[in-house]
Amino acid sequence: MRNHAAVILSLVAVVPLAAQSYRAPRTPDGQPDLQGIWQAMNTAAVNLEDHIAVLDMPAGRSVIVDPPDGKIPYTPAAAKQQKENFKNRAKADPLNICYIPGVPRVMYLPFPIQIVQTPKFVLMASEFAHTLRRVFMDGTKHPDVALFWIGDSRGHWEGETLVVDTANNLPDTWLDRSGNFHSDALHIVEHITRTDPDILTYEATLDDPQVFTRPWTIRMLLYRHREPNATLLEYECNAYLEDSEKERK
Amino acid sequence: MKRLNALNLTIAGVTAAALIAFAPIPGAGQEQKGKGKGKGGPPGAEQYGPYYAAPAKPGEPVGRTPDGQPDMQGFWTPRFNQAIFEVQDHPTAQPGIGPGKGAIVDPADGRIPYKPEAAAKAKELLTKQIYLEPEAHCYVSGVPHAAYQQFGYQIVQPAGYVLFLTEYAHTYRAVPTDGRPHISPNIHLFRGDSVGKWDGGTLVIDTTNQNGKTWFDMAGNFTTQAIHVVERITPVDTNNINYEAVVDDSTIYTQPWKIAGQLGRHPDQNMELMEFACVEGNQDLVHYTEGVGGKAKEKGPLRQ
Repeated sequence: MRNHAAVILSLVAVVPLAAQSYRAPRTPDGQPDLQGIWQAMNTAAVNLEDHIAVLDMPAGRSVIVDPPDGKIPYTPAAAKQQKENFKNRAKADPLNICYIPGVPRVMYLPFPIQIVQTPKFVLMASEFAHTLRRVFMDGTKHPDVALFWIGDSRGHWEGETLVVDTANNLPDTWLDRSGNFHSDALHIVEHITRTDPDILTYEATLDDPQVFTRPWTIRMLLYRHREPNATLLEYECNAYLEDSEKERK
Repeated sequence: MKRLNALNLTIAGVTAAALIAFAPIPGAGQEQKGKGKGKGGPPGAEQYGPYYAAPAKPGEPVGRTPDGQPDMQGFWTPRFNQAIFEVQDHPTAQPGIGPGKGAIVDPADGRIPYKPEAAAKAKELLTKQIYLEPEAHCYVSGVPHAAYQQFGYQIVQPAGYVLFLTEYAHTYRAVPTDGRPHISPNIHLFRGDSVGKWDGGTLVIDTTNQNGKTWFDMAGNFTTQAIHVVERITPVDTNNINYEAVVDDSTIYTQPWKIAGQLGRHPDQNMELMEFACVEGNQDLVHYTEGVGGKAKEKGPLRQ
């Protein structure tokens, strides 16, 4: 996994970042202030790649900016697995049984995310099943043991950009509704930049030599909830799942 | 590498599972007795079984956050007697719940002032608590239960908010302190809607909009959507926070009642809360029978 870090770094360098002219306000300890309630406005949660609509899944364009064809560079075996996953998605999608979505999927679900910053960590709280990401900013490394549904995220600032390195991912999460997937070798580097008072430019490079032939990158915008008194409500998925199972009986 | 330790237990995400239903019940496990003894907790801490309560010891004067709030940030463990099992005094053992003290300070008898019908309902629920207890279903706790949540929590105070990040079920509770009103009364949530304000050195949190699906404890002490809770949270020094909450619900109580407890700062402030993947590892539904929403056949071993 670590062997690919250099590849990822060089890759990120050639991917043009969004315009950097905007300078975010600062938190009391001097970090660029990304705090607020944000949400993607796209169909990445349905399918990261270009896709036409099917029942309950609207059409959308690929959010993959590298490779340029907008497709996930699967190994042949993994490509086959993804097709199986798509076919079985009604049962096999881990979100259908209310599991923690994993990274990066939690970032572009159709649910708001509240970002909170402290000197030690950046918190990303999703409304979906109260999923929490803590990005530790204190220079610590990933733990040697234990895999997590939401992975283990450690970050640092590069100018205006929050750079988050996520490893220790359980292999059981999917990347979207269409069965795009990964293994426990998944390594993610995210670049999150406030490029406008109301916009975060979100970029994530995914590497997983067991599943992909090369690292690849998604990019999208997250929009600030500007309505007065914006707040996260709740989506207690497992409770609703129990209710619906009872109703079916 | 930094130590990765949970507040009380090292719970690896996927295996956290059945702990929720079974570990907290004294008498349910064979090894429960005496397990928590000698850990330096307050009197009665042994009743917590595996739960840790930070010892009470004096700290430094309370500091201020950059925006001027009294600073409560850090990791805290609750001291509320055995309220986590039953919020009211429960001198008599019940199935799955040992005798102990609750956290009710008013009325003086330490009991919830139920109206007769509500008392009957709570009694009925108590007989089914092993199946129906909301946390056994990985539900988020309501308020004030969240304040004496098992495994403790981290408090974070970014400008305009106080956040409680609990290890249990990786839940969070965000309390805005910017003076906003409650959300519409048409919306009901497990965690309700909380708005806070600082009254001198005391954080006052007003919570409405709860959905009536949560309990105060494991003992069937239920709630309704009419519940209104006012919490007063007062940092005393850097190691101790006084907590009290007045609970009102005229649909089921004859009078408002009050709980009180303390939060103790965890000695290890460099910890990182572990992922508590409740739903993902939950085996409870396998054991519950179909009649109560589980997956086991009605003639399963836990059939009532």
